[in-house]
Amino acid sequence: MSNVATQVIDHFVSQVGAQAATWLQSCVHCGECAEACHFYEVTKDPRYTPAWKLEPFARAYRARKAPFAGVRRALGLAKEPDEAELNEWQELIYDSCTMCGRCTMVCPMGIDIASLVGLARKSMAANGIGPEDLFAVAEKSREVGSPLGVTPEKMEERIDWLSDEHEVDIPLNKEKAEVLLTISSIETMKYPQSIVAMAQVLNHAGIDWTFSTKGYEATNFGVLSGKADVAKVMIERIVAAAESVGAKTVIIPECGHAYGALRWTGAMMLGRPLPFEVFHITEYLAMLKRDGKLKLKPMDDAITYHDPCQISRRGGATEAAREVLDGFATGFREMSPTGNANWCCGGGGGVAAIQRATPLRLKVFEIKMKQVEDSGADIMVSACANCRQTLDGGKEHYKWDREIGSLVEIVADHLVKA
Amino acid sequence: MSFLEFTEGPLWYVALVVFSVGVAWNIIGILAMRVRGDSAVPRKSPVAGGIKAIFLHMAPHGGFFSRTAYHVIVGYLFHLGLFALLLFGSFHVAFIKEWTGLSWTPLPRWGFIIASEVAFAGLILMWIRRWTDPITRQISDRDDHIGTGLTMLAMLTGCFALGEASDGLRAVHMLSVELLMLYFPFSRLMHAFTFIFSRYFMGAAYGKRGYVP
Amino acid sequence: MSIRSFLLLLALVLGAAALPGPTLAAGEGATAGQVPGESLGNTSDADFWRAVREGQPQTISIPDREAAVLIQSEGENWRNIRNGPISTIGGWLLVGVIILVSLYFAIRGRIRITGGRSGKRIQRFTQMQRVGHWFVASMFILLGSSGLVLLYGRYGLPYLIGKDGFATLASASLQAHNLFGPLFIASIVVLFFTFVKGNWLSRDDIGWIAKLGGFFGGHASSRFYNFGEKNWFWMSMSLGLILSVSGIILDFPALLEDRYAQQLAHIGHAASALVFISVGLGHIYLGVFGVEGAVEGMTTGTVDANWAKDHHDLWYEEVMADEAAKAGGE
Repeated sequence: MSNVATQVIDHFVSQVGAQAATWLQSCVHCGECAEACHFYEVTKDPRYTPAWKLEPFARAYRARKAPFAGVRRALGLAKEPDEAELNEWQELIYDSCTMCGRCTMVCPMGIDIASLVGLARKSMAANGIGPEDLFAVAEKSREVGSPLGVTPEKMEERIDWLSDEHEVDIPLNKEKAEVLLTISSIETMKYPQSIVAMAQVLNHAGIDWTFSTKGYEATNFGVLSGKADVAKVMIERIVAAAESVGAKTVIIPECGHAYGALRWTGAMMLGRPLPFEVFHITEYLAMLKRDGKLKLKPMDDAITYHDPCQISRRGGATEAAREVLDGFATGFREMSPTGNANWCCGGGGGVAAIQRATPLRLKVFEIKMKQVEDSGADIMVSACANCRQTLDGGKEHYKWDREIGSLVEIVADHLVKA
Repeated sequence: MSFLEFTEGPLWYVALVVFSVGVAWNIIGILAMRVRGDSAVPRKSPVAGGIKAIFLHMAPHGGFFSRTAYHVIVGYLFHLGLFALLLFGSFHVAFIKEWTGLSWTPLPRWGFIIASEVAFAGLILMWIRRWTDPITRQISDRDDHIGTGLTMLAMLTGCFALGEASDGLRAVHMLSVELLMLYFPFSRLMHAFTFIFSRYFMGAAYGKRGYVP
Repeated sequence: MSIRSFLLLLALVLGAAALPGPTLAAGEGATAGQVPGESLGNTSDADFWRAVREGQPQTISIPDREAAVLIQSEGENWRNIRNGPISTIGGWLLVGVIILVSLYFAIRGRIRITGGRSGKRIQRFTQMQRVGHWFVASMFILLGSSGLVLLYGRYGLPYLIGKDGFATLASASLQAHNLFGPLFIASIVVLFFTFVKGNWLSRDDIGWIAKLGGFFGGHASSRFYNFGEKNWFWMSMSLGLILSVSGIILDFPALLEDRYAQQLAHIGHAASALVFISVGLGHIYLGVFGVEGAVEGMTTGTVDANWAKDHHDLWYEEVMADEAAKAGGE
């Protein structure tokens, strides 16, 4: 057996705790998880069955860590995966899993497959097995502060330009502020209007907030690629920025996994409780609306909401976006399935950054088109720039006639000017 | 020592010890592993989420029923039939009484027969699915088939012995049950115990976030 | 029956019971031309014995209706038919089919796919059909093997595994046979509804018959099912029906409380089972071994396009036309 494979397996089993062990051991190979997976749904290729994606790792667990692993090895019953097999599995661990967690809903054993894929990615990434382009993006985040090369200087430049262009006050590096806002670099580069929209809404509500060049990037490609060191650095930067401005609240922009990374795993990666509260922008908007700080003009377009998996199903903030839309977007309708059971956009979990996964990703978009068309909506908004980018890619490929937008942007567009 | 005495004596003790110690060792072995700490501020109670998951995952939720109906229905047929015949078959009740002194009202014979037929139908239908569904064909391995096969064998020999006419048939049934017990702790059949932890851990992790998937 | 003749009979039975067993066998106990007992008086013994042999029910004072018939002569007929023609002809039928299939395999070999596999898969059987088929197949194996043990086991097994061993095996077979019977009935009903479509006879079948199904060379066109498959479908359905009805009668004797119906059911059950098993062997041969690529339709649900062209060309063309129409419609 090659050395690399042994290292991957060593790394993997070292991460397996009681939770992962029960999950790896409880799978009865019923295959129902395939019914929930968008990659299986559009290809009907049984290799995309979520349980199968974990197969070499479950085998490694049985051979190395599970109770009676020694007996199995002694009897030659457990074959550990070799390097060739692990390389072959890249496609299943990276390209065809967005870690959306939909498969867990249907699993009779309640196995958290997405988290196990996350563990497998960490072990593969630690040993250099994985898509080059995704790794490159992660490394770039470590080196320059952002996956898309938004350096602190570039960030300053962008903010200056945006506030001039849109005549909006965008505070940067305020000495002290109650709220620290972060951004997703997809927004900075591709959807700058989102940044403007967030600024407009926060200003409208009279919030004391700021951006900080010490820590502004919410996107965490360390988490997506499985590079734990990068993931930690990204969290530490935000914590440092929040502490330096004395912020008690950190807002995550329209980015799904950034929310999960900071809100749910941030403290663990940091090694201590976060010194602030974390809100996704939809949660924060819902709060402002509840407090009567959002004055909105009604909007009657036929609109629907695409749930980002890491906000809704795996984030628990499913209702926030609905609370914001309720009463204000009179033409709002749900797609089916929706909310916690909604289909993934196909580009989450870093898959959007994997070039070779593009055809597969585009195929997944067929599900979304059908969902939206069946709902009769003309506009689909999301609360995740990564979803939005993936969906836009699909729209462009299929020359689709519906509009794709952002929840914050439509809120900003309908603010009642004071 | 007759074959029956052997299967109801030494072999039975061996099987019982391997089964109980094996299952306990397996569960303790898992639970002794590090439980991943999570210091995120909870939105909802993790314990409530864990308990919710245990019950929630008894049936598909979130609109998946129609897609998984076959498996859910035959799965329940098998498991309910098996529990009914295992715990309420008059021979099994008598056997349990002999060993533990505990006893309860068994099913009438016709009830036992129906339970057996339901269990057989469920098991055979699940096994057929394993062979004919492209998904399960892809993911099934030796363990899946051995586990199913041994369960089938234990049930078949039980059915053979229904006439209660021969010591030989009783002994063969004992032997096949013992084989199943010897295999159990080392196999995926352990799901009979681990499912509760698996669901709980998942429910606790996500319940904390606010939604149990 | 008068008290007198009853006492006479009683004496006869007790007397007979006192004799050594073998002398009881038919024709040995009585001397030709002589009937036991008194031949004078107002009761004719000849009439009496005729009444006994004809199985006329007489007056009795216990609730068991069956006890009113002293000797049910059909029982002997039943035993003779079961152990005679049914067992013999059925046995030869089974052996004959095995020889025929082996001969066919020796001469023709495995029927390969013309031009090899194309790699293109065509959906043939739905999941529901596959499940229904294999469920009936497993019942076929369980019931068939236990049934054969019950019918033929006595001729060889006692020598192989001893009388006790055979008694044990027969008891096991009986229990299994009774337990799985109802599951067979349920599954054959499902099988009817999942497979009936496409199994009605049609004009295309004439061509297939004329070419002897292509079994002896040449190509016989067919749609989704060929004439042979249709035959097998209807045969298994009607035999299945006979087996189900007769099986219920045998399983629940109290339903009819009629010994004659039991005997008839038994004869019908055994005869149709033997035909079912014999033809089933041919079906298994063709499905699993004889025709390359056939079994995949029933395991994975799909078949190779070239297989479809070989064996079901008219169906293949329909599928292709459908595909083309779909592609054109998009």
